[in-house]
Amino acid sequence: MRPEEAPGGPRAYDEMRTASGAVRPHYAALARRLAGLGAGELAERQRTLERFFLLQGITFTVYGAESSTERIIPTDLLPRIIPAQEWARIESGLVQRLQALNMFLADIYGAQKILMDGVVPRELILCAPSYRREMQNLYVPHQAYANVCGSDLIRQPDGGYAVLEDNLRVPSGVSYMLANREASKRTFPDAFRAAGVRPIERYPDLLLSTLKSMSADGRPHPQVVVLTPGVYNSAYYEHAYLARLMGVPLVEGRDLVAHQNMIYMRTTSGLRRIDIIYRRVDDDYIDPLTFRRDSSLGVAGLFNAYRAGNVVICNAPGTGVADDKAVYAYVPEIIRYYLGEDPILPNIETYLCREPAQLSHVLANLDKLVVKAVGASGGYGMLIGPHASTAERAAFSEALRANPSNYIAQPTIQLSTAPCLMDGEIDARHVDLRPFILSGEKIVVTPGALTRVALQKGSLVVNSSQGGGSKDTWVLDHKEVTP
Amino acid sequence: MMLARVADSLYWIGRYVERAEHMCRLCDVMLNATLEPDDAAAEVAHIALASAGAPAVGGMGAYEAALSLALDRHAPGSIASALSRARENARQVRDQITTETWERLNLIFLRITDPEAPRAFANGSSAFLHEIIADLHLFKGAADATMSHGEGWRFLLLGTHLERAQLIARLLEVCFGSHQDRISHDHLMLTSLLRMSCALEPYLRAHTSDLQAAYILRFLLLDEDFPRSVRFCTARIEEHVSALGRPAAPGHASPERLAGRLRARLQYADLDEVQASGPAEFVLQISEACAGIHTALHETFVAYPVELRLPA
Repeated sequence: MRPEEAPGGPRAYDEMRTASGAVRPHYAALARRLAGLGAGELAERQRTLERFFLLQGITFTVYGAESSTERIIPTDLLPRIIPAQEWARIESGLVQRLQALNMFLADIYGAQKILMDGVVPRELILCAPSYRREMQNLYVPHQAYANVCGSDLIRQPDGGYAVLEDNLRVPSGVSYMLANREASKRTFPDAFRAAGVRPIERYPDLLLSTLKSMSADGRPHPQVVVLTPGVYNSAYYEHAYLARLMGVPLVEGRDLVAHQNMIYMRTTSGLRRIDIIYRRVDDDYIDPLTFRRDSSLGVAGLFNAYRAGNVVICNAPGTGVADDKAVYAYVPEIIRYYLGEDPILPNIETYLCREPAQLSHVLANLDKLVVKAVGASGGYGMLIGPHASTAERAAFSEALRANPSNYIAQPTIQLSTAPCLMDGEIDARHVDLRPFILSGEKIVVTPGALTRVALQKGSLVVNSSQGGGSKDTWVLDHKEVTP
Repeated sequence: MMLARVADSLYWIGRYVERAEHMCRLCDVMLNATLEPDDAAAEVAHIALASAGAPAVGGMGAYEAALSLALDRHAPGSIASALSRARENARQVRDQITTETWERLNLIFLRITDPEAPRAFANGSSAFLHEIIADLHLFKGAADATMSHGEGWRFLLLGTHLERAQLIARLLEVCFGSHQDRISHDHLMLTSLLRMSCALEPYLRAHTSDLQAAYILRFLLLDEDFPRSVRFCTARIEEHVSALGRPAAPGHASPERLAGRLRARLQYADLDEVQASGPAEFVLQISEACAGIHTALHETFVAYPVELRLPA
């Protein structure tokens, strides 16, 4: 039995076809192109695409006993397509949400009005490990704490989009968005031209302007760098990619020196001061003097230089408190509190296990719910009730009782499906949507996204660390071509 | 201005790529010589392996030795290990080299680490090695044609020419050390030496097919225009070092002075002088001077003490 036909749940939304099987208008150009291509030709294009990824080095390393081999990140040939009016709503919803979350962070690390007004429980914030006391009362230009945000959206069976998760720490995947685009332009040039796809290639340029707009003391020609944990990090390709396309140095902690509250990099001609650091290292690891003492990835003294206003760290440390899975449940209230507006993009219904009444509901319905640990990400520490064994559910219910505030639960959501090329045949797989939002002096949403694909038939897990893949996402221009 | 770590990586890419190319030639010439029914073939294999720093043939046949020199990633001097390291360094400075350059190197790496590589080698080692050499030339061409000819490119070429000077010096040291007598009369040996340094055709144009050990020594050591002569390499080293131009850190030898002295020594040397002190001794001194430049570059541009460079 296919999961999307599971009893008790509505059928998953099909991105390409209506319930009666007709191709939706915005997929028409692609459908016509696909009809003209045989299975052999599709497979050939898939191979070309994989070759392109391999050559570019868009790979991760699989370490075996004897030798290590390079694998490409699984990528799918067929683009996912979003019509203009749908995107307009997504875009305004994302801007609204990030605006509110930035205001929330400024408040949490400032006057804490929202806590005093009792809209969000005080201990939920102040006891969260992602809350950084060190950030209290620190000036952040434009209140832009999360300069780069990658939100995970899903499409529900009724066709409406909802936010599943906000990623405000060091979201990744944008290089795959750009690489997928480059690949699909090569693969389907004619369908691409006919569809009228909005360009995303300016992303690195917009990222650089966003970073520069964060310069606190307005030094002319601020020196921007990308800070990476190094070549063994799974997202290293992305770090190098962004540095290359922005034209700024890619540095590691060992390249940097703190001296009298300034940060310098070691160049061939001596030390050179750095103004803005786009860091792709987690909060915990950026400064062994302030955060984890055993970290060798950061720079001793970085945080003090930041507090002194001599260097800018993007994203700001401590943004994780706003994408905490328990805080997530309060985001609609947070939007109403700061903006006085109703959320444009809804949340998924969320049960907070810290509330006794909600906990008992969760325990009684474990077979229908997805339970997530608050602090975990990447698909780890998660129970998908309907797919779990009795033993797994029993183990989770014990963990829930032992430490209820560490968990939230959500109904199992049928992610929408999109056509994918699987072993030479076109078949439906579940997908989500990760757009990228930049916030500095202003908030900009790139008209495109990473569509993550659950490669296993019927699976709802799209995380790349759990065997997910990705595909290009075409956001159509207003001038739509009628079929 | 560039990151010290990046300059170091570019330098090492140059060294490893040059090393891989040279090892390809040693392998190929050695396997080619084994086709000849001649005692000299064993001697050629000995020269190739000794100058590659690989263990002597001993129990292994020449083919097994060549296979290990080519594809064994765990052998530190092998082609596969040099290419893996070059590519690992390139990955670390991926933002600093052009996509065209990266793609070439990545392609070579993927080919030599392919699980099918041993079979391809067995099916035709010569074709396999030639293809690697041709791809390495494409890599160098792509770097020349697409990278800015600034500081980073100079570090890449410094690595290339220091490595090349030392590899050729090592080859001459092996040939003109204890085996001088044997090499001087054997045709296979002399052509093999020229092939190992990719010098056969240029030599023939300069000296016709009059193969003489002394001429070959002079050609590989002192020729002004041949790109694999030690003299040519030292001229390029000086050129790039002086373009970087930076005063030496106190207490250290300036790389510029060392490079200039080495270039002058080769520019004004003649064969009699080389023969007088013994060619092996002479090339050994050259190699040591190259090592001195290597160290001075590292201390001046990469591993300088931070306290000397702090802003006032």
